[in-house]
Amino acid sequence: MMEKKTRLSDHIWVILLSILAVAYLYPIFMILINSLKEERAIGTSDIFNLPTSETFAGFTNYINALGAQGFARSLGYSVLITITSVIAILVCCSMCAWYITRVKNKFTSALYYLFVFSMVVPFQMVMFTLSQTADSLDLNKPWNIWIIYLGFGAGLAVFMFAGFMKSIPLEIEEASMIDGCNPIQTFFLVVFPILKPTLVSVGILEAMWVWNDYLLPVLVLDIKKYKTIPMLIQYFRGSYGKVEMGPMMASIMMTIIPIIIVYLLGQKQIIKGVAAGAVKG
Amino acid sequence: MAGISFRHVVKTYDNGVTVVPDLNLEIKDKEFVVLVGPSGCGKSTTLRMIAGLESVSDGELYIGDKLMNKVPPKSRNIAMVFQSYALYPHMSVYKNMAFALELAKTPKDEIDRKVREAASILGLEPYLERKPKALSGGQRQRVALGRAMVRNPEVFLLDEPLSNLDAKLRTEMRSQISKLHKQLGTTFVYVTHDQTEAMTMGDRICVMKDGIIQQYDTPQNLYDYPDNLFVAGFIGSPQMNFIDATVEKAGDGFSLCFGEARIHSDKKELEPYVGKTVVVGIRPEDFHAEKQFFSEGNVIDAYIDLDEMMGSESYLYINYAGQKMITRVPARYAKKADETISLAVDPDKVHVFDKETELAVCH
Repeated sequence: MMEKKTRLSDHIWVILLSILAVAYLYPIFMILINSLKEERAIGTSDIFNLPTSETFAGFTNYINALGAQGFARSLGYSVLITITSVIAILVCCSMCAWYITRVKNKFTSALYYLFVFSMVVPFQMVMFTLSQTADSLDLNKPWNIWIIYLGFGAGLAVFMFAGFMKSIPLEIEEASMIDGCNPIQTFFLVVFPILKPTLVSVGILEAMWVWNDYLLPVLVLDIKKYKTIPMLIQYFRGSYGKVEMGPMMASIMMTIIPIIIVYLLGQKQIIKGVAAGAVKG
Repeated sequence: MAGISFRHVVKTYDNGVTVVPDLNLEIKDKEFVVLVGPSGCGKSTTLRMIAGLESVSDGELYIGDKLMNKVPPKSRNIAMVFQSYALYPHMSVYKNMAFALELAKTPKDEIDRKVREAASILGLEPYLERKPKALSGGQRQRVALGRAMVRNPEVFLLDEPLSNLDAKLRTEMRSQISKLHKQLGTTFVYVTHDQTEAMTMGDRICVMKDGIIQQYDTPQNLYDYPDNLFVAGFIGSPQMNFIDATVEKAGDGFSLCFGEARIHSDKKELEPYVGKTVVVGIRPEDFHAEKQFFSEGNVIDAYIDLDEMMGSESYLYINYAGQKMITRVPARYAKKADETISLAVDPDKVHVFDKETELAVCH
């Protein structure tokens, strides 16, 4: 009886999760099919249709998107911003979390709660003051906007790092101190590599956020000079100012691909219990 | 030369708790000293002060003839083996052992030679490329030892290194560590709460309680001449029996009286205790069931509450004159539970303690 019940609930879960998966995947699928169609076949009435022999455009849309003005440069900006921001978040926040977990006093616990609190503050609440501040501090360039991303990403990153850091036995760090490490060496040679699973998780989350982020770069960057990929897609217009749906769909597809690759590569690295074997048990 | 010297060392934590009130301890060069005591007695704190992982609140700590109070751990030329092994999980066994040498910028071929040498002594050669998680508890413990060995430290610190191993492996590692001490010829300081480890390994044992040294002596002396009730009870397994007895004058000597027993003693130290109650300590093996030990006054007829057969001998939990005791008798003389047994107390092996100060009066 019990067994039958379990099996039934398993089936229900499979069905529910499948529906959820389809719901998530369908928009991507729609973009994919439309990116392979000719411009005239992408309309409100036939948007759900699969490409036919008449409407199939091959990779024309992709070639057009790639050839469009500024695509390569936008891709470069997006890559630059994502890489610098993620590196800054990973290095600074893990160090900060190390300090917060290992030095126990009122200041560090206040600091910790401040980081946690920063996660609850909605971006919309601070966005206008932020863009003003960014302008006055000259942080409105693709090569230094990472400082702003570091600030916004720090809450979640410190929270996640601190959580994992608590599970690293202090003895490992003490052993490294006896072995001859100074605190910087202890951090980068011992603690940082042990953090790998969390680094990957935080890295993926932050990379996805920065790569896809639209609002912050729109507000901070000089739109005329610098466009990231999400901004470019928004402003994707052909020579006559008309939105070209085909190349737009193609460029959306192309921007999804890198982040999916990052995710798949990273997922392989998240090995549960990397710290296993360091200490007893 | 690397003896260790604690001179009036005090350790008080930030929350105001004093773990070590006033420690004076001399550890000679090349000596194997075991710090032993119940949990929270300050033995690990003492060890960590030697390592530099805990600061010294007051007093002076010397390694060799150098004052170490403010010297960071890496400059003390010590190596430490932790209870939890504390291996670096992301490094292979080889890397774990080579790490300290790499930090010290030792030439590569020398690192290789030292690591392989240590690995061969510890039987770790087949595992050099493995990560710690792919090793068993005993192998991890050997890696931790190896990591300490390669550095040729002046002082070897071991913090309960065997407590996570099973009984068989523990015995094996015990002899391996003793062997290692002879081979390396360095000072070893070993912390444990297991008195068997302390007795079998240490040149000298320091018994601690509440941060205070109770007795610091060789294993044999601790066993035969405990300074106080705590040491007497702590060292030896099963532990010493403590019986309240009154001292009476008997001819030239004295009698220690409890129940029907009148145990004779010639010790002059008992003079001030005549008419008073003292605590008599008798080790389980100092009760004899063999007839040749029987003489007037030293025989007790005790009721057996429980018997534990250990193979060659039996532990009998006896009840005599309302006092519970444990005795260890050869299996062939042993009786079963709920029976009565006649046992002779060896009068030369009786320890007497002051009931109030708990200090030894005579042995």
